Amino acid sequence: MDFDMGADVARLRRTLRDLVEEHVPPDYLGAFTHDPADLDVAQRFCRVLADSGLLCLAWPPEFGGRGASLWEQTAVREEMWAHHEPRGAQYMGVNWVGPTIMRHGTEEQKARHLPPIAAGEVIWCQGFSEPDAGSDLASLRTAAVRDDAGWLVNGQKIWTSYATMAQWCFLLARTSKGERKQQGLTVFLVPMSDPAIEVRPIPTMIGPHHLNEVFFTDLRVTEADVLGTVDEGWALVQEVLAFERVGIARYARCERLLQAAPGAVGDAWAELPGELRGRWARMLVHARRARLLAYRVIATQGAGRVRPVDSAAYRIAVTRLDQESAEVLTDIVALAPPTGVAGARFQREVEEHARYSVSATVASGSIEMQRILLARALLANPVTAS
Amino acid sequence: MNIDLSDEALEYGRTAQAALEAAGGDKLLEDAELEPARRASLVSPVLAELGAWELDPRGSADELEAAAALCRSAGWWAAPYPVAERLCRPADLPVDGQVVVTGTAPAAPLAGLAGPWSAVTLDGRRFRVTPRGPARPPRTSAFVTGLDLTPVDADADGAAERLADVTLGLVLGCWTLLGMLDRAMALTRAHVLERQQFGQPLARFQGVQFQLTDAEVERAGVAELAGYALWSVQARRPEAFDDALALRLGAVEAAETVFRICHQLHGAMGFCDETTLSWVSRYSLPLRRLPLGRAGTEDVLTRRLGRRGLDGLFAGESFE
Repeated sequence: MDFDMGADVARLRRTLRDLVEEHVPPDYLGAFTHDPADLDVAQRFCRVLADSGLLCLAWPPEFGGRGASLWEQTAVREEMWAHHEPRGAQYMGVNWVGPTIMRHGTEEQKARHLPPIAAGEVIWCQGFSEPDAGSDLASLRTAAVRDDAGWLVNGQKIWTSYATMAQWCFLLARTSKGERKQQGLTVFLVPMSDPAIEVRPIPTMIGPHHLNEVFFTDLRVTEADVLGTVDEGWALVQEVLAFERVGIARYARCERLLQAAPGAVGDAWAELPGELRGRWARMLVHARRARLLAYRVIATQGAGRVRPVDSAAYRIAVTRLDQESAEVLTDIVALAPPTGVAGARFQREVEEHARYSVSATVASGSIEMQRILLARALLANPVTAS
Repeated sequence: MNIDLSDEALEYGRTAQAALEAAGGDKLLEDAELEPARRASLVSPVLAELGAWELDPRGSADELEAAAALCRSAGWWAAPYPVAERLCRPADLPVDGQVVVTGTAPAAPLAGLAGPWSAVTLDGRRFRVTPRGPARPPRTSAFVTGLDLTPVDADADGAAERLADVTLGLVLGCWTLLGMLDRAMALTRAHVLERQQFGQPLARFQGVQFQLTDAEVERAGVAELAGYALWSVQARRPEAFDDALALRLGAVEAAETVFRICHQLHGAMGFCDETTLSWVSRYSLPLRRLPLGRAGTEDVLTRRLGRRGLDGLFAGESFE
């Protein structure tokens, strides 16, 4: 057995930390604030990563990447999320929009979309969820109706992150009615600058820009905008969800904040109730547990296998960790408020973590969906010792 | 990165599980409870056939992994013999095995075993042990007996080095507990698929499914923590003791959830002797309570971690 990711990954991790220290202001808490400077930080940082060949390092060399190992990709996910995702919204283009276009796009689509993603110059949003199609995504109603010139799209998407800042949308719409609701869906790549698209931000407690409504009114799309095969978009969506199997490395931010807590609190740490320090230790164990469950998914993926039981178990563990660690950290800063510049920053980080963690069990597939998937897999086959 | 036991270790575990099944499987524990004096003879020769007692988990990574797989298989059958403890016997003492104890209330499931056995406290002091008083019926004691301790080492200087013994004992004990969690989950899965209420299997009810998944997340987490702690022992990492305590805290906490849910989903049947779950559940208690239960383990780990935290992605990084 060997849980050491090796020297290459350690070097990459160090490089990323150095770049964050150099290019990301210490007060940065993510690109989604009312201050446009934060979005600028993310955009600039993406270009720095792109110039260093680190933005798309998982991509194959023919598309400008360097075919990084799964463990290098893991380190990138961990380092970025731990430091409040200084790539901003770009991770979506890099992690799955680009790879999906590589596999299913036409030559024109690859030439048009991949270079800007690789250069960190473009933001994508995902047009999936609708008011009546959340967990039950295949029930979506946004319709692309065929005519002589292509299709006219009408409908509404909701909970669309980054829609106010995105230049492109990965849009899933119904193009026909099949026997099953998963049939007859098509993916379109559409420019958000089209006047037929209207974005309305939804104010939320987790911060601005995270959630939006997107309305499509007679949006004209053509064959050139179709990704993959008409009516067979559901297969692409499944592929996208597979790219997101591990998803964001929530455990990394939890671990970083928990680990930093005693230093941030200073001498008052010793005065905290023993019960609270015990909960802190327990959360560190839970953070390690979630990280190891992520590594299980990655190792299985690396061996060319997919075990839904692993990814669902990980997603349940990590989203619960997000919320439970936020509760512990909030209690710590409430009882022993850190002081000084670094202390105030730690408090803001904890507050941001606590507010955002509320959405952890809902975002990217609710915890209930993960439980359903896990139960289905568990009941279908007994789990064996790996 | 290689987060799995070797194929050889996994195969060894499967062989041990099959051998214990052939020797009686669940009946081993039932027989041992009826005739406690037989418990060593029910299990030990079966594993001796497989060369278990020649394994040297301190000597090689391969044998450590084989020992872990063996403990997991012993846990699956709740084998009525201290397998992990025997595998942990120190090379420099003429004993059958070694148990990890607290100095204040030393106890271990050694009732009725001839021995001799040694004990090591969480701070690395070693003792010869003498079971205290007459053995209580295993039905309520699960073979646990209080121990009188006689110091082995003249000085406490070597205590720090002997933390490796404590670490190994904690880690292999958790591999046994993991085997019990595997079994509890397998039994419960089978039960909810088979048991019908309101005209359909319990497994069809989402309330049942969700409880099962919560238990599985706990079990799966222990499996990963157990692998990590084993590697830490193998690699002789300075953090190995912390990793063992972290595993133990995770395992004891998980066991509470897993057994609570497995009992709930079995209904009243789960308390009955005719149900295997009740046997695994009863005999999991010593592993969950000794040397320390959840609160005690959390306390020791918290003291150990102090302000530096648990080794991981950000250990030693300053927050500026």
